[in-house]
Parts: sequence; C-alpha cells; structure tokens
Amino acid sequence: MATLKLYKFTVCAIYNKNIIYETELSNRNTFILTGGFFNYNFALHRPTIFITMTKLLEWLLGVSLIGVAWGLVTFDLLDLQLPPQYRELAWPMPVYLLVVFGCYSLATVGYRVATFNDCEDAAKELQAQIKEAKEDLKKKGLKIVSAAPVHVG
Amino acid sequence: RPFINTPQATGADQAVGFGLVGFSLLLFTYYTIWVIVLPFVDSDHVIHSYFLPREYSVILPGVAALILLLCVGTFIGVITWKNRKPKKVD
Repeated sequence: MATLKLYKFTVCAIYNKNIIYETELSNRNTFILTGGFFNYNFALHRPTIFITMTKLLEWLLGVSLIGVAWGLVTFDLLDLQLPPQYRELAWPMPVYLLVVFGCYSLATVGYRVATFNDCEDAAKELQAQIKEAKEDLKKKGLKIVSAAPVHVG
Repeated sequence: RPFINTPQATGADQAVGFGLVGFSLLLFTYYTIWVIVLPFVDSDHVIHSYFLPREYSVILPGVAALILLLCVGTFIGVITWKNRKPKKVD
C-alpha cells in the first residue's frame, strides 16, 4: 500500500505590504501551485505561498468581477429571472461604457484645445531662434533639408 | 470683461475645440437615451421612431472602431512606406 506523505503549508495574501489573509492547507485537499510565488517561510518553518496584490492584479480582479457579473446578467446563467428591461439594459453595457469613455476623452481634448492660450511672444522667439540656428549651421557647412514647413497659426 | 489683455486661443482653435465638446455632448446624450432610457419606455411611444433597433447600438460603435483602427493603421503604413530607406548593397 502506497503511503501518502502529508505536507502542510501556509498561503498568505498580501495587500499594501500587510498580510491580510493567511490559511493553512495540506496536500490532502489542495493542488500545490509552484513557481514564482512559492517560498519557504523560515519564521513559520513551513513552505509558504505568497500572493502579492499589485495594482495590475487589483485592476484585473476588479475588471473580471465586473465581467462575471455582466455575463451572469446577460446570459442569465443563474436563472435570476430579472425583468426584461434590465436584461435589455445590461447587454450593451461594455460597448456603452467604451463609448462614454470615448466621448469624455473627446470632450476633454476639445475643451483643452479651445482654452489653450496662444503665446505670441514665445512663438516669435522660437521662430527667431530657429532662423538663427539654421544660419549658424549653414555657416558650419551642414545642409539643411526641411521636411515640413514651420507654420505658426 | 476680465479677458481683454490675457492671451486667448485664436478663433480656429476655439471653434474646433468647442465643436468637439458639443459633438461629444450630443453623441453622449443620444447614445445614453438609446441604451439606458429606451428600455423603460413603452414600445408604442413615438420616441422609438427616432432610434434604430437596439442591435445597432452595439454594431455601429463596433463598425466605427474598426474604421478608426483601419485609418490609424493606414496612416502608419503610409508614413512607414514614405520613410523607408533603400538597403545598402555591399
């Protein structure tokens, strides 16, 4: 009869450098995830798995939770039998949020273009500096092929 | 009026900028009514005649996004093609 070697290990979840969750597991009832997060915690004297919550993981977790909620409502996987208006409302939601985000970006860009003040003096100064630099470089023998005309206005 | 001597954006910039703001407000309002308000309105109300069937509220932005991607890709392709340098022959 084969003997099962029993291992105990701890799983720690870390958020903002604090351990927010810790649990003891054994190989009798779990799969052991290795690679990357697998360590030996010398204080606990047993193998420990750390899950560090980076911003990326946080975002992915949030997005996937929302995605699962949307999927449940749209495809009626839990047979919640919501009123038809709410189901009609839910299924275009991802596209709707994208369009709203696009509109907000467009409005922000447009507003900043409209309220960005012209700096006449700075423009003239820049033009003068460009001319000076071109003449200086011509004197030193550099051929200048301008790819685009410098246009102010 | 407090803005006489302070520098301001020139007419064209203002027109384009506020035009963009107005356009996005219009688009947002129309799309919000289409997606969020219409399901709660009786199907025999006259407002439904101003909006396409609901499927188009997903298809049209998708097509617009595809066209945008095509334009961006074409632009990049044209610029890359223009700037290609002939390889040196050894």
